[in-house]
Amino acid sequence: MSLQTHNTLQLSPAYRLQWEAAQNMFVLLYPEGLIELNQSSAEILQLCDGTNTLARIVVALEKKFNTTGLENDIKNFLTVALDNGWITQST
Amino acid sequence: MAGSLKAPSPPRWLLAELTYACPLQCPYCSNPLNYAHINDELSTEDWKRVLKQSREMGAVQLGFSGGEPLLRSDLIELVQYAHQLGYYSNLITSGYSIDEAKIIALKKAGLDHIQISLQASSQELNDYIAGTESFEQKKTVAKLVKKHGYPMVLCVVLHRANIHQMKDILEMAIELEADFVELANTQYYGWAHHNRDQLMPTQQQLNDAELIANQYQASQKGKMKIYYVVPDYYEGRPKACMNGWGTTFLTIAPDGLALPCHSARQLPNFDCPNVKDHSVHNIWNESKAFNYFRGDGWMKEPCRSCEEKDKDFGGCHCQAFLLTGDATNTDPVCHLSPQHNLVTEAVDLANLNNKQPSEKPLVFRNSKNSKPFK
Repeated sequence: MSLQTHNTLQLSPAYRLQWEAAQNMFVLLYPEGLIELNQSSAEILQLCDGTNTLARIVVALEKKFNTTGLENDIKNFLTVALDNGWITQST
Repeated sequence: MAGSLKAPSPPRWLLAELTYACPLQCPYCSNPLNYAHINDELSTEDWKRVLKQSREMGAVQLGFSGGEPLLRSDLIELVQYAHQLGYYSNLITSGYSIDEAKIIALKKAGLDHIQISLQASSQELNDYIAGTESFEQKKTVAKLVKKHGYPMVLCVVLHRANIHQMKDILEMAIELEADFVELANTQYYGWAHHNRDQLMPTQQQLNDAELIANQYQASQKGKMKIYYVVPDYYEGRPKACMNGWGTTFLTIAPDGLALPCHSARQLPNFDCPNVKDHSVHNIWNESKAFNYFRGDGWMKEPCRSCEEKDKDFGGCHCQAFLLTGDATNTDPVCHLSPQHNLVTEAVDLANLNNKQPSEKPLVFRNSKNSKPFK
């Protein structure tokens, strides 16, 4: 299923988001795997908590970084995350 | 032969080979042929020190492996300690020596994931390859792993005798509700190298298998992730050894030897350091073994002037040693290697033997067969 604007998003059960002090970055952990995240990816994934939708994540991050026009970047990243099974969306 | 002067990137992956003991006898085991002579296992305190020091350096993925890690009586204690340290811990098991109570206790201790190996999709072939009657037990354990909420990886090592079961293997993975399936063509180290001619699939077998893997990858998208690991003997291009030697992976063998790759203990004159004598920090940053293939200062031609040297790092050094006797040679899997014929000849032999399997019997991995190897 493709990414929907108003469905809530959450990390998939097999995945864990964790701050790594030694590397000074967030990492996504899953069975035998590790993805090192840049700051924007980590900001987005932290908001995939089962209560937020794409629309709300855009609003939250545009507010946090006092900017506009983030929707496309966020949508692209979430599409990749969904395709890779890192996140799931409510039906 | 130090690679570069800048500090190496920290280890991210720690593979803790707790023991070489194993109830199975798979003839493609990557453990050393002479494992029966390696007895001096690390103590619980040694392992805790290794876990702590590696975590402080940056290791976050942790594999408890072996042999069969469940044979260590302190496994739960180590899992608990790893959890406190913040590792993502993986148990890589045959699924043979475990019952429901242990699965629950490991979950409570903080284990994140269990990988179970299956040898085939049918009982007869599974039990033959494993050298132990284990098929039904493994399937029962797989169901219990899912019942108790773990993500599960099913791992099937593919070779000439089971690769035709690809479709059934994937159907079995679906039935067992695996989250990830690792279909790994045999890599020829340790026992697998010894049994290479009997294990090597034909080109036709590989074509058929890959087609099925691709079909299931598409149909299972978003449900079950399928990794198909291609056999490098058929690729013509070498694999990027360990994501770069001494950049990411740290293996600690049962006796405490620290290895940049789990096959590295066979390399002569490497003086792989032991965690009984040195700190992980010291081993990772200072030891000759871990610095040996960092950077490209060690490279000869054709690697040195190759455009892909930053992509594959010269391929697998253990394979170069196994096939040519010199670990600093280009991995013969590479079609540019002057010794590429060593690989093509093995592949040709497999395809010549299309109809008749090799007459040599498989040598199973057990103490009796290991003893003659020094």
